[in-house]
This record gives sequence, C-alpha cells and structure tokens, in this order.
Amino acid sequence: MAETKKFAMVVAEGTFDKAMMAMMMGNTAASMGIETHIFYTFFGLNLLKKGAKPKMPGMMRFFTGMMIKKMKGIGLDGYQEQLEMAKELGIKIYACSTSMELMGIKKEDLIDGVTVLGAAAFLDIGTDADMQLFIG
Amino acid sequence: MVIIMDKKETLDAKGLMCPMPIVKLAKKMKEMKVGEVLELIADDVGSKEDVPAWCKRTGNELVSQKEEGGAFFFYIKKVQ
Repeated sequence: MAETKKFAMVVAEGTFDKAMMAMMMGNTAASMGIETHIFYTFFGLNLLKKGAKPKMPGMMRFFTGMMIKKMKGIGLDGYQEQLEMAKELGIKIYACSTSMELMGIKKEDLIDGVTVLGAAAFLDIGTDADMQLFIG
Repeated sequence: MVIIMDKKETLDAKGLMCPMPIVKLAKKMKEMKVGEVLELIADDVGSKEDVPAWCKRTGNELVSQKEEGGAFFFYIKKVQ
C-alpha cells in the first residue's frame, strides 16, 4: 500500500458550489485513505453552521433547488448528508477563530466535531500536507 | 480473459456519478475480508480512471476490468 498521504483544503466561500466541491473532493480523498483536513474561513464558515443550506452564488441562487434535484438524479447526496459523510469518514474540520469573531459566530452555532483554530495552527497542518487546495 | 472464480459480492453503482462510486466502493471494501473479490459495476466514464487510481492508492488489487454494454466492470481483490 502506498504511504498515507495528507491533504489540506481551505474553503473561503459559503456558496453551494464551493460547499459541494469541498465535500466531493474531501470525501473522495478520505475514501482513498488520504488523511483529509478542511479549514473553513470567511464566508466558508457559514457552511459549518447547524442546518446550513447553502445557495448558488448571485442570481443563480434561485436555481439552487434545481441543482440539488439534478445532483440527486445522479446519486449525489445533498450538502448536509455529505457533511455527515465527511465526519463519518474521519475528515478533520476546522473553523477559523478570527472569522468566527468577525462574523459573530459562536462555537455553539457550529455543528459538532469542529475544531476552532487560527491560521498558524492550520498552516502547520498544511505545510505538512502532500496536497493543498484553496476553494474560494 | 480472466475468469473470476472467487467473486464474493457485487456493488452496482450504475447511475451514480463521481465521487459516489468511489465512496461506496471504499465503504464496501471495509466490510470485506482480505482475499475476497468485489465486482463493481459503474457507468460513470470517470470510473474507468478513478477505480484503478483508488486501487493503487489504497493498495488493493484490480484483478481485471472490462467494458460491456456501456458499463464498466471492475474486479477488485482486497489486499489490506
């Protein structure tokens, strides 16, 4: 077996497309046995709020429902189900402490299992990773 | 042509697009024992490249693969 690889991802936007991209990449990586870490910052943080229902960006937000339906048609679960799957697969999820302060989001507003940390702590994880992606 | 003698189970992922066949494959393989062979059927064209990559990455053996009637058949042996 190939040695265990580490994957670090930053999600800086809270729209539906960015949310799903991060989940699909992350859940695939975790399914491949890659240790996966996702850091949510700025508007991305909204994706970690309990019961978050992200919308497509701008005017496309009106077509979010249609997109969800289309995705269901090809066997893709919705955002909340994918997030649940991410946790099941052992993906480490982090919330940016500065963004929480900026956006007035409290730890209790977030889903369970999220680690709150700062940029330095995440960069420490990221510099050790074999692959880094920025979704924003 | 490789004849698969010890196929244990089949996972039908037809109609599912990336990454679901891989996510389901990983889940299924966790339940299987070392040495057992899983037949995976998918019709996402991406799976043609994705399944071999998954096997390589996770250290499981892709015994054979074929394309038949617009679907891809993979025979994967659990190594670890």
